[in-house]
Amino acid sequence: MPYHLLAQGDTTKKLNEVTVSSGTLPVVQTITPSQSISSSDFDRYNAFNVADAVRDFSGVIIKDYGGIGGFKTISVRGLGANHTAVLYDGVEINDAENGQVDLSTLNLNNVQKITLYNGQPPDICMPARSFASASVLSIVTVKPELSAIKPYQITAGIKTGSFGLFNPYLQWQQRINNNWSFIINSYLENANGQYKYKTNTGTGVDSTHTRTNADINAQQVDGALYWAKSDSNKFNLHINYYDSDRGLPGAVILYSASLSRQRLWNRDFFMQAGYERIWKSGFHLLLNTKVSQLFEHYLDPDYLSESGKLEQRFTQRELYQSAALAYHITQNWEVSYAIDGSIANLGEDVSYPNPSFPNPTRFTLLNVLASNLTIGRFHLQTSVLNSNITETVKKNTATQPRNITTPTVMANYDPIKNSGLQLRAFYKYIFRNPTFDELYYQQVGNPNLKPEYTNQFDLGATYRKALSGIFDYIAFTADAYYNIVNNKIVFIPKDTNGGSIENFGKVDIEGLDASVKTQVKFTDSWKGSLALNYSYQQALNVTDPTSSIYLNQLPYTPKNTVAINAGIDNSHLGVYYNQVISSSRYYTNDNLPYDYIPGYSTSDASVVYHFVAKGKPIVLSAGVNNLFNKSYFVVQSYPMPGRSFRISIQITI
Amino acid sequence: MKQNKLNYLFIALTFIMVLASCHKDKIVGNTGTPTSQRAGIYILNQGGLSDNNSSLTYYDYASKQLYPDLYATANSAPLGDVANDIGIYGGKMYIVVNNSNVVDVVNPKTATLIKQDSLLTNHIGRLPRSMAFYKSNVFITCYDGTVAVMDTTTLTISKSITVGRNPEQLVVANNKLYVANSGGYSGNFDNTVSVIDLSTLTVTKTITVITNPVGMAADSYGNVYVLSVGDFSNGPTGVAGMDIINSTTDVVASSPAVNLGFNVAITVQGDNVYYITGDNKVAVYNAKTQTASQANFITDGTSITTPYALTADPISGEVFVADATDYASDGVMYAFDKTGKKEYSIKTGIIPGKMILINK
Repeated sequence: MPYHLLAQGDTTKKLNEVTVSSGTLPVVQTITPSQSISSSDFDRYNAFNVADAVRDFSGVIIKDYGGIGGFKTISVRGLGANHTAVLYDGVEINDAENGQVDLSTLNLNNVQKITLYNGQPPDICMPARSFASASVLSIVTVKPELSAIKPYQITAGIKTGSFGLFNPYLQWQQRINNNWSFIINSYLENANGQYKYKTNTGTGVDSTHTRTNADINAQQVDGALYWAKSDSNKFNLHINYYDSDRGLPGAVILYSASLSRQRLWNRDFFMQAGYERIWKSGFHLLLNTKVSQLFEHYLDPDYLSESGKLEQRFTQRELYQSAALAYHITQNWEVSYAIDGSIANLGEDVSYPNPSFPNPTRFTLLNVLASNLTIGRFHLQTSVLNSNITETVKKNTATQPRNITTPTVMANYDPIKNSGLQLRAFYKYIFRNPTFDELYYQQVGNPNLKPEYTNQFDLGATYRKALSGIFDYIAFTADAYYNIVNNKIVFIPKDTNGGSIENFGKVDIEGLDASVKTQVKFTDSWKGSLALNYSYQQALNVTDPTSSIYLNQLPYTPKNTVAINAGIDNSHLGVYYNQVISSSRYYTNDNLPYDYIPGYSTSDASVVYHFVAKGKPIVLSAGVNNLFNKSYFVVQSYPMPGRSFRISIQITI
Repeated sequence: MKQNKLNYLFIALTFIMVLASCHKDKIVGNTGTPTSQRAGIYILNQGGLSDNNSSLTYYDYASKQLYPDLYATANSAPLGDVANDIGIYGGKMYIVVNNSNVVDVVNPKTATLIKQDSLLTNHIGRLPRSMAFYKSNVFITCYDGTVAVMDTTTLTISKSITVGRNPEQLVVANNKLYVANSGGYSGNFDNTVSVIDLSTLTVTKTITVITNPVGMAADSYGNVYVLSVGDFSNGPTGVAGMDIINSTTDVVASSPAVNLGFNVAITVQGDNVYYITGDNKVAVYNAKTQTASQANFITDGTSITTPYALTADPISGEVFVADATDYASDGVMYAFDKTGKKEYSIKTGIIPGKMILINK
């Protein structure tokens, strides 16, 4: 719905209407493919963190090192984790050091909705950074929606189960007056992280081992203050602090009885503020500011260096400002301009035995011009992004400045009016900048690296229809895509001690993402739901036609992935089942039988019971991950947990 | 069940692969191969760090068959993570698997495991690296700054000798053991060679050499060649170099100008000291005259992407050069005759780091 329509007249009512209608029919008809999951569905997927919540999405590969504290990153359509921006209430979680967000650290307690957009989100009035990556994972937090009759709401809960998990959480929503409200979320996550896994080495007999040094002790506090005069004039301020101390169990090395005692500490703080104003004249303004500090401390107390350890302490600081202004030239044509500026610095407090970084600072200026045009049943959105990146270092050489202009064109078309069928297509050319790790880290960093470019072509169709019989609705999506990655940044190992990072590689990715979603009404109260997602990814190395790995599938890229989610529920009870099937992968470029990682299929099940006791809503839930206790791994040498359980209780006051 | 089926499929594919490799490889013109004495050649492949995919390639001279991983076939188990060194001594073959913290003792003909020795101190891996043999002992450098001594009869570690930091290769000359102390795991590199008296098993002298010594070899004239990588912490600075120790006096006799890169492989065959240069060539230094004799041993223009390991056959004069290619894909081993002409090449595993000839 065009913004100016909302701005004219009573915007609140219009917005409510939109919310109600999207409750029954899933939102699939976006101009670029998008997939979302909201908080009410987290139980369906027995999800504990953001990585669990999005693992069913088409085109998504979660690189999972296993266990509760194991790193989990998202790769979309074969492009790699660095090409997906993770937004937290519209503002990017930026990590200039490694460019990847560990989704295991993003707990779901305060999350309202998660959406993955291929290309970029469909808005044009948004920060320039939202235009600046190949895909966007947008996390939206819970916002207080309270009335004057009951101006507060407190939700308290606890999750416990396998891995020695103890995870109490508390949410306090408070309405201050007509305009002001706040929400405070906090949780504690404590787990020994231990789990059993099987290996088959040698005698042909499975032996069971326990993963140790996998503990995590994390706390997070997230406070947000909201002011809204109306839906077209609002402000928010977020303060977030995350603190974790975890063991890194490391790779499982065959025959080695050496046990890891490596540890990682993180202390991350950020504060962000946003202001949004929509004028009746057709102007739309969005301002965002963020300051962040990410502190990381790594220690390997058993490293065989001169003083018997390897220790690093880094602090990243970033200052970020964004302004976006959109204007409706006509009712059907909106244009926008966005400008983002940021300064990011990586300082090193300790790096033993070798200095790691030359104290790099990156200045980024992004400018975007975008247009959103509707002509009848045809909708065209275009944007052009200019990225200007300059870096300085305290010693050695900084990478050369970059000034890059990249376009995006997105379109959709309804071939038959109100038929529920929509066709869509997009093209996006974008790059990801090399990270500080890739540019400067010790001997391996290479300041001469060029950005890694991606070309994405997508052609798809969506269909959705509300039905009147036993089926409430049916929704289909299918998108075929072709991606080309140029100047791929790869680590080239040299011996066991090091290597170098080069722009060496070109990848051709052909893929298909498809989904079906439906809901069945068995009786007046019992409903059934079924969602099926399928992904096909052929990601071929096309770097060097003379090389033996030419036209080989990229490591860790299954060709076929299927995710099935089914459930039945009434207003009190829900029973859900989730299954993810991944075909085999290779973990090296050669695609030889001994580099083969067998396919796997994992199943999760959960039961949720809602009831009211003394006027207080209570939710009980119990879930099993890896129901059939399958031994598998996603990353070579990092075994995944067998069957695990989790129960939770939550009360709202 | 599905898992099992996939396992069977995997096993079946492995067999097909083995069979296919036996027939596919065309080996042409290997005139120098001494098939009357030699059974074949082993190539030890490191694999990727933490990938647990070290392998032992075997090429059989008589049947011209290539076995991509004889260890895995013989033992129904992978070799482990980062296999660094292999040696045949007293009828047994020893394999050092660095990141697995083990030394495997195997039957040299079949690669069947006889005994596996773990190298740990208080649950911390010692990261064994290279081996040398003398009388009834195997000497194994360990990254914890020691040389472990293994008895060849009991196959147990009897003793550890403290040397410098992160010792790499070691070589026996003049009844002494010379150990290159790299200090590669510290910002402050080591720059010494420890001299161990092989009768008392104690360090008798420490010789200062060029920073970060790694490669070692000895000739028949009592010279010990030490190749040092240099301090590469600030990028390739060209400080790599060679020292030649006189094993009678235990002093550095000379440090001839050589062009070295990151991969310092060296092997001695007769009067020829072969080593890999910084520009990916195989250079020859004459042990007798102590002068550089050939800038590039390869005379037929064969170009090798990443020469990584060297060995030579004293019977045929053949020189074998392993190519680690991109360090992530399967490598190649080239066999050259004594005039530097390519005889044949075979496919290896990932990062072929060591080759050894096996007699019939």
